[in-house]
Amino acid sequence: MAVYEHLYGAYEGDSHSAWSRFLVIPRYALREVFKSKLLVTIFILCFIYPLVATILVYLHHNANALALLQINVRELLPIDASFFLTFVQVQCAFAFILTVLVAPPLISRDLSNNALPLYLCRPLSRAEYVLGKMAVVMFLLSLVTWIPGLLIFFFQASLAGLAWLWANLWMIQAIFSSSMVWIILLALLSLAVSSFLKWRVVASGALLGMFFVPTAFGEIVNNLFLTRWGHLISLWATIKSIWRGLFGLFERQTGSIRGKVTNPIYDEQFFDIALLEPPLWVSWLVIAGICAVCVWLLARKVRAYEVIK
Amino acid sequence: MSSTSEIREQSVAANVNSVNVNTRPAASWSLRTRQALAVMRLEIKKNFLSRRAFLLYLIAGLPLVLLSLLALFPPPTDELGTFGEMSMVYAAIYGGLILRTLIFFGCAWVFMNLFRGEVVDRSLHYYFLAPVRREVLVVGKYLSGLLATIVLFSITTVGSMFIYYFWLFPSESARFFFDGAGTSQMLAYLGVTILACIGYGAVFLLVGLFFRNPIIPAGLLYGWEWINFLLPPFLKKISVIHYLHSLVPVPMSEGPFAVLVEPTPAWISVPSLLLFTGVVLFLASRHIRRMEISYAGD
Repeated sequence: MAVYEHLYGAYEGDSHSAWSRFLVIPRYALREVFKSKLLVTIFILCFIYPLVATILVYLHHNANALALLQINVRELLPIDASFFLTFVQVQCAFAFILTVLVAPPLISRDLSNNALPLYLCRPLSRAEYVLGKMAVVMFLLSLVTWIPGLLIFFFQASLAGLAWLWANLWMIQAIFSSSMVWIILLALLSLAVSSFLKWRVVASGALLGMFFVPTAFGEIVNNLFLTRWGHLISLWATIKSIWRGLFGLFERQTGSIRGKVTNPIYDEQFFDIALLEPPLWVSWLVIAGICAVCVWLLARKVRAYEVIK
Repeated sequence: MSSTSEIREQSVAANVNSVNVNTRPAASWSLRTRQALAVMRLEIKKNFLSRRAFLLYLIAGLPLVLLSLLALFPPPTDELGTFGEMSMVYAAIYGGLILRTLIFFGCAWVFMNLFRGEVVDRSLHYYFLAPVRREVLVVGKYLSGLLATIVLFSITTVGSMFIYYFWLFPSESARFFFDGAGTSQMLAYLGVTILACIGYGAVFLLVGLFFRNPIIPAGLLYGWEWINFLLPPFLKKISVIHYLHSLVPVPMSEGPFAVLVEPTPAWISVPSLLLFTGVVLFLASRHIRRMEISYAGD
């Protein structure tokens, strides 16, 4: 049927409340996401480590199982801040893989097919559009990071008793915050790359490169300049510092090098160079800066129209 | 009307003539060579001058910036500031940053985009509609990618070596390069860079042709190359990095957990890599003959 023969009528369905309109985007996007068998497989693989962690917690409190497996309770990993920090680190690495697979086409597909006006001609603002796209990533990543983390925490609390829960209540905030910082960073970064590069494959490649190349570069900077400030170049190292800070395990000095200087007057002089991690506030500043640049890029790129020269 | 039909007849005759000419083997080979070079020329412009090339320049320029900074702000100890240590330090920079990361990602970017880039630009059908054999297209595109990566990463390898040596110790470096082992080391590094571009280029060309989303195989490949030092001897040989490491002039320790293996001699490493590249190009040519373009979903 030709377009001019269509009849258009007013929308007669239920209207959404203004605040929840952006949720329409993740509803359809998630349906698309879970059509991919590969993604479903990787999504399931993301739950292997939580399963192992749950078994570890269970073993700690089950004397029969320990006796059966002939394991001393002292040989098992202690269930403390470092246990949950490792959990967050492993799950956030999986979250990155999920982001590389899910996020790049979210905006790039709309931009490359000129579909953005179709969204923005409806009662949906640019901010709500971006929020809707972010919600897709944030929902998926939450499912593999802080939600299983908190479930394991409460499982441990239920087995260890109220005293353990009160003593470690602060960890709830640490698990949630550390995961959320990473999730927000990944969501903003991936959407900014997706909006900037427009092509899904190129955006995925750029995201992968942005993660690995600065990490290698930062390590070389650290080794050449005998410092730890190269960690600020690497997203992974910076976020790890923040996580350690949130779990109360951050130490500034992570090593030292015995240096030697040959001086024409004093001959050889030996001295220790302390290898100091950048202060936590600098790491937070770097993450905030990256997020701000991503928001700026999204504000520039996500428009209903663009002038092409 | 008569003039139109005459023109049509002439063009048909010309086509028949060109077909006749093409069937002769010698002329056919020269035609294919010319076509491959024509494709290469077109692609070289894209590889060097398109917007996508910006990232390649950024990747290739990183070591030059890093070593310039090192020359401007040398560390306060002798450990990295003595001439005797320079070969070891450069070997670490080359192995850890240039070879394993920058050349790997640079080649991934260039070679995966040779065909995937055309698909996302929706322009591959122009090549497929041209009277060029698809194998010729594969060779032309591969050569263009090879030229771009070899030129840029050779500049990176040689440039970073010169900056590192000559900026800090000009007189010792002059002796090292003109009377010592410097030139042979530089040529060896250059050779490894070229072989890395050839090997990784072939792998990523194949990945770009076979996979709609080549990021996952590229990520897996990166992981495989990184854990190469942990692998048993047999599995080590199923990687590009093993052969490249065998050719590096200053061997580096791979850490306490590394499984030690005798380096493969150059007379095996180099032909193996070239043979591997030949096989991969053959597979790519076989694949592209049956390839159907589907722009949907990209």
